Amino acid sequence: MIAYIARRLLILPIILFGVSMLIFSMIMMLGPYQRLSTYINDPAQLKGAEDIDQLVSKYGLNDPWYEQYGRWIGGVLKGDFGWSESAGAPVTKAIADRFPATLELALLSLVPVIFGGIILGVLSAVHHNKALDHTIRIFAVIGWSFPSFVFGLIVLMIFYGVLGWLPPGRLSNWATEIVRSADFVSYTGMYILDGILNFNFSIVLDAIRHLIAPVITISILWWAFILRITRSNMLETLKKDYIRTARAKGLADNIVVYKHAVRNALIPVVTVAGQMVLGLAGGLVIVESIFNIRGLGQFMANAAQQLDYPGVLGGALYFGFLLILINLFVDVSYAVIDPRIRLE
Amino acid sequence: MQKRLIVILTVFLFITMTSMAGAQEVKNPGTFVEVNMGTIDSLDPHFQYDSASAEIIDNVYENLIKFDQGDITTFLPHLATEVPTVENGLIRDNNTTYEFPIRNDVVFHNGNKLTPEDVKYSFLRALIQDRDGGPVWMIYEPLFQKSSLSDVIFEVLEEEKNAKDLTAEESAEVYAYLEKAIEINGNSVIFHLPQPFPPFLSIIAQGNGLGAIVDKEWTIEQGDWDGQPETIAEYTNPTKEEDPLFGAMNGTGPYKFVEWVNGEEIVLDRHENYWREPASIKKVIIKMIDEWSTRKLMLQRGDADIVYVDKQYMSQIENMNGVEVITGLPNIYMGAGLMNYNIVTEGNPDVHSGKLDGNGVPSNFFSDIDVRKGFLYSMNYEAFVNDVLEGDGQQGRGPIPEPLLGYDEDSPTYELNLDKAEEHFKQAFNGELWEKGFEITILYNSGNDVRKSAADMLKYYVERINPKFNINVRGIQWASYLDKLIAQKFTLGFIAWGADYADPHNFVVPFVSSTGTYGGFKGEDYAEFAKENIDPLIEEAISLTDPEAREEIYREIQQISYENATDFYLYQPTAQVVMRDWVEGWYYDPIRDPGQYFYSLDK
Repeated sequence: MIAYIARRLLILPIILFGVSMLIFSMIMMLGPYQRLSTYINDPAQLKGAEDIDQLVSKYGLNDPWYEQYGRWIGGVLKGDFGWSESAGAPVTKAIADRFPATLELALLSLVPVIFGGIILGVLSAVHHNKALDHTIRIFAVIGWSFPSFVFGLIVLMIFYGVLGWLPPGRLSNWATEIVRSADFVSYTGMYILDGILNFNFSIVLDAIRHLIAPVITISILWWAFILRITRSNMLETLKKDYIRTARAKGLADNIVVYKHAVRNALIPVVTVAGQMVLGLAGGLVIVESIFNIRGLGQFMANAAQQLDYPGVLGGALYFGFLLILINLFVDVSYAVIDPRIRLE
Repeated sequence: MQKRLIVILTVFLFITMTSMAGAQEVKNPGTFVEVNMGTIDSLDPHFQYDSASAEIIDNVYENLIKFDQGDITTFLPHLATEVPTVENGLIRDNNTTYEFPIRNDVVFHNGNKLTPEDVKYSFLRALIQDRDGGPVWMIYEPLFQKSSLSDVIFEVLEEEKNAKDLTAEESAEVYAYLEKAIEINGNSVIFHLPQPFPPFLSIIAQGNGLGAIVDKEWTIEQGDWDGQPETIAEYTNPTKEEDPLFGAMNGTGPYKFVEWVNGEEIVLDRHENYWREPASIKKVIIKMIDEWSTRKLMLQRGDADIVYVDKQYMSQIENMNGVEVITGLPNIYMGAGLMNYNIVTEGNPDVHSGKLDGNGVPSNFFSDIDVRKGFLYSMNYEAFVNDVLEGDGQQGRGPIPEPLLGYDEDSPTYELNLDKAEEHFKQAFNGELWEKGFEITILYNSGNDVRKSAADMLKYYVERINPKFNINVRGIQWASYLDKLIAQKFTLGFIAWGADYADPHNFVVPFVSSTGTYGGFKGEDYAEFAKENIDPLIEEAISLTDPEAREEIYREIQQISYENATDFYLYQPTAQVVMRDWVEGWYYDPIRDPGQYFYSLDK
């Protein structure tokens, strides 16, 4: 297994190089004046033609593509991923600043999404074609087909606009002040965890209060996905011979379902859950926008919109890294869930 | 079951009502929350050139003088003890010397005392920094009759040289030239202008970060220009990454900078040792939230005191409980349509065949005055203002907007008149255009519905005049729109200009001079016309000190622009502000708009 993990990690730089080349070539298909829009938000900022050419030269936009790529990759090898114009910060700082918010939201969402989805999926399969199954399936269809921005806005309107219970953002103003004070140590940038580590439980509660609405939004929409996969796998597994044998042996239904069937039905769910982790850890543009969470989704969307190529490339490398890491984790999980699977 | 339902509903209703009622109380007393959208570009007063950054600069840094509560015709002293005038002798030598006695009771946020040396250093730092695409051209013009450091280098060294490549000796020569314009005399700072420049005071007044005063000692400590004549190359034209003041501030203003979380919020605290009475509001938080629904709910809940509202959403908050909406505020701004006199046709699908053959337009399509007039008479200006702007604005009367010198509400304007349009189109290209027709594409940057509506309106009316006239309207990404403008491949493009300072010079130069920001995009034929007919008038107007004489010239420029149908001066919109009704002390400043001056506010 160690050799397998090492092999997978070794191909990481090659994949990241390929990803960066691909994105860079796409950006280079735009002319220098088009790429100047990264730095100029309004033509009124220009004094005239002379100013334009000076700007193009200042940022090296007219240099051959290999020089521009060389400059960027040279910086990356020294740990400098460039300056993100859209974030107004070095790329590494921009990602590092936003990573805790995204990770906190992702971690908090994963538990209800995965466990909720699995439980509902199993219940639906066990009560196949009964009232509970139909109800859950209707719920799944509604959840899956609901646009996230509509659902998010409804949640925000009810729980913040009307009730005032779940405000947007990551913390209230008073809590932000505490978190940014010298007395509060930021260990992870994740406010719930930092609040616990600082023994400041008012921060923990405030952070949870701000995360409930986005977590509900993500959960309702993504439950459906896990639920459907779990249900169909469970239905298939429950028809297998070894399940019939277990039942014939007189094992209790609960033991048959939860000890024998669920474990085998979970393997495809792990793959899907891996993709889900990737999606959540990469940031969710719409949820982040509606609930005013400064996360990686917003960063990537802004960078792409402004043709901020250091930002886009930095984000792509982060995604690439995450993708390989999560896939590796999923592969290892297969072996843990089903000992018959061997990693080679 | 029914009883339980009624109880649940009653509890829900009670909670809802109490929650809504709670929202009407003054929330967060002592803290003012403004919710904007977009991003802050830089906190360096000499680097920034956008309204979001300017608002922060305006509350943290101070200038020598300021306008009297948004009245752009009256100046008050600020860091200077007096406003220079001819009468008090502080403007002399035929309006080329301006003296500013500096206050001696002012401290920066770090406790350093303000000195005349800080004032001199601040202006020299701006002149040396002069980043590409930045605002420093505004101060080069009055002080040196030039537009950039490059121009000064060319004059001093008699050769073109990049400021980054100056040797120590050359740098010292250039510095000596710059330094001559700013002199310290006792407790005063004196500016020497090569010739009178009437808007000088407007340019350096509060509201324009360009004239903001920084603390020399602190700025050098941050790693910025060391104040030495030999080091221009090291500090000129920085990128944001290289600029030490990009994310650091230390001014004399009523608020001091606490923290900037880029893309999220900026926090300012009251300056307790402020030279005037400290501000009423203790803390200011400016949040950047792009999602309108979130901004709206924050306003509704009272978690935001002032929010930015796009025109299209105004109807959603007009009757919101506890919210005050003020509209119809005068905005010194002009939305215009530029016609390109020499369209680059090579590789340009927007001119179609590129010839006057009925299937396209030639490069010089808009060089023909009858084509331009035909188009100008085909625009429904009234409907545009009433329907697209929903009545919040007026038709422009030339490059100069109301209330600047030269604006005349009785001056002639174009109106929708399809008979006149037809008459001009028939005369265009000696009748050939009418016979053959044309096809052209007008572009707008996607997402800008105002520009799309203007283009659609033109298409609708022009195509009614002659069935052989075809206009396509196409939305493109901002990057491509900018590319088209710069490469002079645009046919007819809609743009806008907001005031950098309160003087008509700031509008006639960009719109109608041969080398202006927009004039320069309009092709060689236009440049030749402007060099002969407009540039001399602009130069004359800026050299005069008599306001009446200046006004006459600016009116003449407006008239020339009208007679020659240089551009579409489509609209001057009004501004609006949306805030909680507990906000007190708010006043409108057209130069600062849409930014706020928190010192005057309370709640």
